[in-house]
Amino acid sequence: MNLANASKPGLTRTVIFILLGLLLLFVIALNLTLGSVRIPLREILRVILGQGGVKDSWVFIIQDYRLPKIFTAILAGVALSASGLQMQTMFRNPLADPFILGINSGASLGVAIAIMGAGLASGLFIPALSTVGDLGLVAAASLGAGLVMGLILLVGRRVNNPTTLLILGLMFGHATSALVSLLIYFSAPEKVKAYSIWSYGAFNGVTWEQLKVLFPVILLALGILALLPKGLNALLLGEDYAKTMGLNVSRLRTLVLISASVLSGAITAFCGPIGFIGVAVPHIARNLFKTSNHKLLIPAVVLIGAIVAVAADLIAQMPGSQFVLPINVVTSLFGAPFVLWIVLKRRRRATSFSV
Amino acid sequence: MKTPLLSTRDLEIGYINGKPARKVVGSELNLELKQGEFVCLVGPNGAGKSTLLRTLTGLQPALDGEILLVGKKLAQFSRKELANEISVVLTSPIEVGAMTVKELVAMGRFPFTGLFDRMTEKDWDVVRQSLEMVGMQGFEERMIHKLSDGERQKVMIARALAQEPRILVLDEPTAYLDLPGRVVVLGLLHDLAFGHDKAVLTSTHDLDLALRHADRIWLMDDEGQIIQGAPEDLVLNGSFAQTFNRSGVSFNAQSGTFDTQTPTSKIVFLEGEGSEFIWTRRALRRIGYTVKEEWSHGSPRVSVIPRDDTIIWQVARDGQTDTFVSIYDLLQSLSK
Repeated sequence: MNLANASKPGLTRTVIFILLGLLLLFVIALNLTLGSVRIPLREILRVILGQGGVKDSWVFIIQDYRLPKIFTAILAGVALSASGLQMQTMFRNPLADPFILGINSGASLGVAIAIMGAGLASGLFIPALSTVGDLGLVAAASLGAGLVMGLILLVGRRVNNPTTLLILGLMFGHATSALVSLLIYFSAPEKVKAYSIWSYGAFNGVTWEQLKVLFPVILLALGILALLPKGLNALLLGEDYAKTMGLNVSRLRTLVLISASVLSGAITAFCGPIGFIGVAVPHIARNLFKTSNHKLLIPAVVLIGAIVAVAADLIAQMPGSQFVLPINVVTSLFGAPFVLWIVLKRRRRATSFSV
Repeated sequence: MKTPLLSTRDLEIGYINGKPARKVVGSELNLELKQGEFVCLVGPNGAGKSTLLRTLTGLQPALDGEILLVGKKLAQFSRKELANEISVVLTSPIEVGAMTVKELVAMGRFPFTGLFDRMTEKDWDVVRQSLEMVGMQGFEERMIHKLSDGERQKVMIARALAQEPRILVLDEPTAYLDLPGRVVVLGLLHDLAFGHDKAVLTSTHDLDLALRHADRIWLMDDEGQIIQGAPEDLVLNGSFAQTFNRSGVSFNAQSGTFDTQTPTSKIVFLEGEGSEFIWTRRALRRIGYTVKEEWSHGSPRVSVIPRDDTIIWQVARDGQTDTFVSIYDLLQSLSK
């Protein structure tokens, strides 16, 4: 960025970034204190800083429950949003996202096959797996996600109409779900229950050990994405323009495919399918920063994705009550009207990526 | 004599994976494009103009023959090398909204910036110059979805220029523009070739503008054959009339425009001068009269007469004279 660029819009953007950072800290703090048990922030800080003198039960709640849950939520929000952003640009479609296009179902299929096929399952899907199994799980989910995304890419690249792509994703989703159901059908009853619990989506239940797998995997996929903003920007003008600008479109598409499937696959493996974060966050980022430039959008969706996921988890906890809502219920309740809004707004304005 | 930047030898264009397996759109094309030359590719709809342009810019492979770019086969260029020689403006409007003019034009620097797309001061200079060349300086911070169609097309041309190509290829850049917009864009393209020494190749449906501005016309017919030459040559040797010959339409080699043929048997004698005379003649032809300037017995006689500050039209026929104050009233009377 040159000096002329660091004028007013640059300043406003810096301010927005700082405000978003503060908002993230705020929702994290809120999420740590609230829940079925209310713990004062000062006590939480003592636990995090390793100082003594805090109730044992609180230490346990914070260390083994709330902290890993928040880490998971942040990773999930970041990964799903980053995945959605890449997919929206690659499919040139404002509605593209891992959940809507059925890519999550592909991940589910991968998980189901890995567990039942390899006979790894012992009761529940996730907690029972060893660390090696976790990696296998991530690989299987990413492969499943990549398979569905590759298929949609193959069929849907000639489709310019977002609604058609949506139906395509829906059909792929149904087909893969049917296969999963088939696997479930031949499985023991407790697995069926485990699957339905898993399919609600949850940020809790992911252990520190599993985070050791999830975190580097997500980081790696984000690292790939960090190399792509230039190509993604070129792709905004359409594939033909991008080619005549010297872009290797098929290489970019492969990298996006890998990054987006690993991001959504890994999260789906550990947290279950989580809807609408991937489609909504890129739009919030574009509206907030008034730009389509991926150099700005990537850090923006990372921040906003984290905020949205932690906030969604906060709502799911229903502070003050003993109930915990499935995370997917929360994201769908807020996300579905959001997608409707995008569809209706798009009808009024022909430009798909405009604010 | 300049050597051509781009030339083709027995080029065959078309599609390989269609039905039937190989659909040839045009063949035996021997074309050339020189530096500083403005070439307009014209022809009826569906002749294969877009296919030719896509083939020449490396967006789709040639079926046979070869394309030479600065003396080297086009197929041997990598995408990146090609981007340094040729840049394009495509027909379909881009769908991106939340982007400033400056950001869009800066995309033209894509082949020159590194992996992380860092723009140097020199890159920004090129962006500024490109905007100046299309007369869009001062629009840097405007959002592209808020520009008019004509302004957006000029920005797209600026983006292509920022790529600093030797050859600029445009596929119907005037398709979505109003008439003044078309005049401006084609005039601009002529200036880019003439004043900035670019080779500019564009397809267009605006024949009269192409005839006026192009150094050379590539005239493509329904069979995908191309005749090239100066616009005047093609008019005089009847190529234009032949290519665009359809029932009911004929190319008028005198005016360089297309006339619709209304069956005429009625004759009218017209006298007068100046632009009033020319426009009255046009109007009479439109309603099916053959206009003569030598009076013959039995035909109505129309006179365009200046009176004080205005014009009046007099019609003498069957021994009776009527006076009209507008061409519209004149036509109403004559078409009865």
